[in-house]
Amino acid sequence: MKKLFFLLLMVLTVTMVLSATVEIDLWFHSGRGAERNVLQDQVVRFNAMQDLVFVNAIQLPEGSYNEQVQAAALANDLPDLLDLDGPNMTNYAWANFIMPLDKYMSVELKNDLLPSIIKQGTYNGKIYALGTFDSGLAIWGNKAYLKKAGVRIPTSVDDAWTKEEFMDALAKLKALPEVDYPLDLMLIESGEWDTYGFSPIFQAFGADLINRETYMTADGVLNGPEAVEAGKWMRSLIEKGYVNRSPANDAALLDGTGALAWTGHWYYNNAKDALGDDLVLIPMPKLGDEDSKYGGQATGMGSWCWGITTNSDHPYAAWLFLRFILRPEEILLMSNANGAVPSRFSAVAMSDLYKEGGALELYVEQADKIAVERPVTPAYPVITLEFSRAIQEILNGTDVQKTLDRAVEEIDWDIEDNNGYPMD
Amino acid sequence: MAYALSKKKKRAVLLFILPGLCLLSMFMILPFLMSFGLSFTNQRLLSRYATEFIGWSNYERLFRDDLFFTGLKNNFVFALIVVPIQTVLALGMAMVVNKHLKGVKIFRTAYFMPTVTTMVVVSVVWTFMYNPQGLINNFMQAITFGNWETVDFLKNSQWAFPAIMLMSIWQGAGFQMLIFLAGLQEIPEILYEAATIDGANKWRKFWNITLPQLRNTTTFVLISTTILALRLFDQIKIMTNGGPNDSTYTVILHLYNSGFSKQRVGYASAITVVFFLIVLAISIVQRLILREEREV
Repeated sequence: MKKLFFLLLMVLTVTMVLSATVEIDLWFHSGRGAERNVLQDQVVRFNAMQDLVFVNAIQLPEGSYNEQVQAAALANDLPDLLDLDGPNMTNYAWANFIMPLDKYMSVELKNDLLPSIIKQGTYNGKIYALGTFDSGLAIWGNKAYLKKAGVRIPTSVDDAWTKEEFMDALAKLKALPEVDYPLDLMLIESGEWDTYGFSPIFQAFGADLINRETYMTADGVLNGPEAVEAGKWMRSLIEKGYVNRSPANDAALLDGTGALAWTGHWYYNNAKDALGDDLVLIPMPKLGDEDSKYGGQATGMGSWCWGITTNSDHPYAAWLFLRFILRPEEILLMSNANGAVPSRFSAVAMSDLYKEGGALELYVEQADKIAVERPVTPAYPVITLEFSRAIQEILNGTDVQKTLDRAVEEIDWDIEDNNGYPMD
Repeated sequence: MAYALSKKKKRAVLLFILPGLCLLSMFMILPFLMSFGLSFTNQRLLSRYATEFIGWSNYERLFRDDLFFTGLKNNFVFALIVVPIQTVLALGMAMVVNKHLKGVKIFRTAYFMPTVTTMVVVSVVWTFMYNPQGLINNFMQAITFGNWETVDFLKNSQWAFPAIMLMSIWQGAGFQMLIFLAGLQEIPEILYEAATIDGANKWRKFWNITLPQLRNTTTFVLISTTILALRLFDQIKIMTNGGPNDSTYTVILHLYNSGFSKQRVGYASAITVVFFLIVLAISIVQRLILREEREV
């Protein structure tokens, strides 16, 4: 009897020791190299510093990342933890494959996160996703060219260029012999970039992607007169020769053939290397009326963030890793590598780039005053697809009203099809 | 086929068919049957709610869907232009590389190279070539002494589709060439020798020996090229994404957009079923017209 008991005890201990380490799978999109390296390093260090959780990180190509995640969700094959592009959160949460994180979050953490991070991660009153960084969208400029052309360089949200000033600046820069196309809209990319980069233009003109009061229709908002005006203005940039419709790369500002680059924080490190002290960050221009819906000026927000899936067997283990990369010093490592806005106030204060007087401080001011989140609705995947398509077509010179009408039709069809995406 | 197989042979035949049959059923027949079933439901890629049976609604909607018909029209235009040109070109290339000349192997490799390169890679490279500052515009500038007006090929609704057709022909012809080459090498030399004795010139030999002897090969090439042309997707997705102004929109792109990007799996299944029937009908008609001669 004693022997048997002893044996049982041994078996029990062995299994306990063996199962003490919980293995979790993590998926992330293989974005920019610097981002990837930081995350990989974080995984290695996390695995080494404790024995409870072993993180198995798998990277997937960015181009079709969303599709792959959806297909995996359909096949019940999702990892425990995955990163996702902010605005897709709502669709994932609605489809019930990522879970609310509120129960894990301490009050201290909640209060320390930037409001934009909470906003982008919240749906139906719960927080489903958390990012270690937020994005910043503004205009990078070449100070030498701007001075040479005699253009005023604004430094804050309030003294940003008006539309007239902006057009005047473009005309003057175009006249410089060094410059081929003064403004680079990063048209080498398309897809989510169109929505992220250009929906602020529509919002500045007083339009939007969807009616945000009901989230039931885009009619009159995405195809109203303000939207048509925004579309026509964008097209005019190409017609006037200010923007290259088919750039061969994204380096016009860097190699000196361009003067301004309309892009995000991720451009910073390369631009700094190329232009040095000539690099200047210019706030988003005031394109619309001050009394329009968004006050005539807007920028984007939201970035990649993390969610824990509902089919995870060890959600708490996944949270432990997420909590680790949300430490201010870890956030800072990422922010320094990709130039993004740190997602916690405590990290912002520690950041050389973002503290008061830092090179990227303007992003924080913009996020505070004029950032608009991409629509928080499960219909987002269709909205972004149709908006991106519409932008590409408008830039190609199609009829703006007709193009936008069609986008509205498709978006409304999707919402109707899903009975307005009811929660329960 | 009228003679009976012995039991042993039958078993051998079955054994040889088995692997192919397994794969086909797993990855073609079964998914298709599933699509057929799904096409009567409102299945979404992801949803909170259970899938419901909705009868013929997806099909009714399909017949009102302008984009589907735009895609279908483009697919047909593409097939009508690309298939004949590609076939003739492939035959020509095969005849050239079939000659016993010095260095012919280099030509064979050169012609076949585009085919073994992935379409995605080819598309990216050609996107750069079609750029306003790209190779093709620069070349046209050079040979017209600067009189060529730069064209943004892929962003221009008149040029985009022809540009993609040209690239597709260049990419695909090598494969057809290889099939023709195999066909050409099967033609017995005796026939040509006899014709020479009868005093036939090269042209007569081509019309009366080469072409008729290549009948089965041509049938195969035509049908497979047509199916490939109707399946047009990769280069479109990468180079134009259906634009500008829908000028390069195709059925498969519509299928992809509906099923994956917009998550309407039920609707996308209905598109598959209808498109399958169309492709099947075309293949049957082609087969009837170009009846293959079989030796038994």
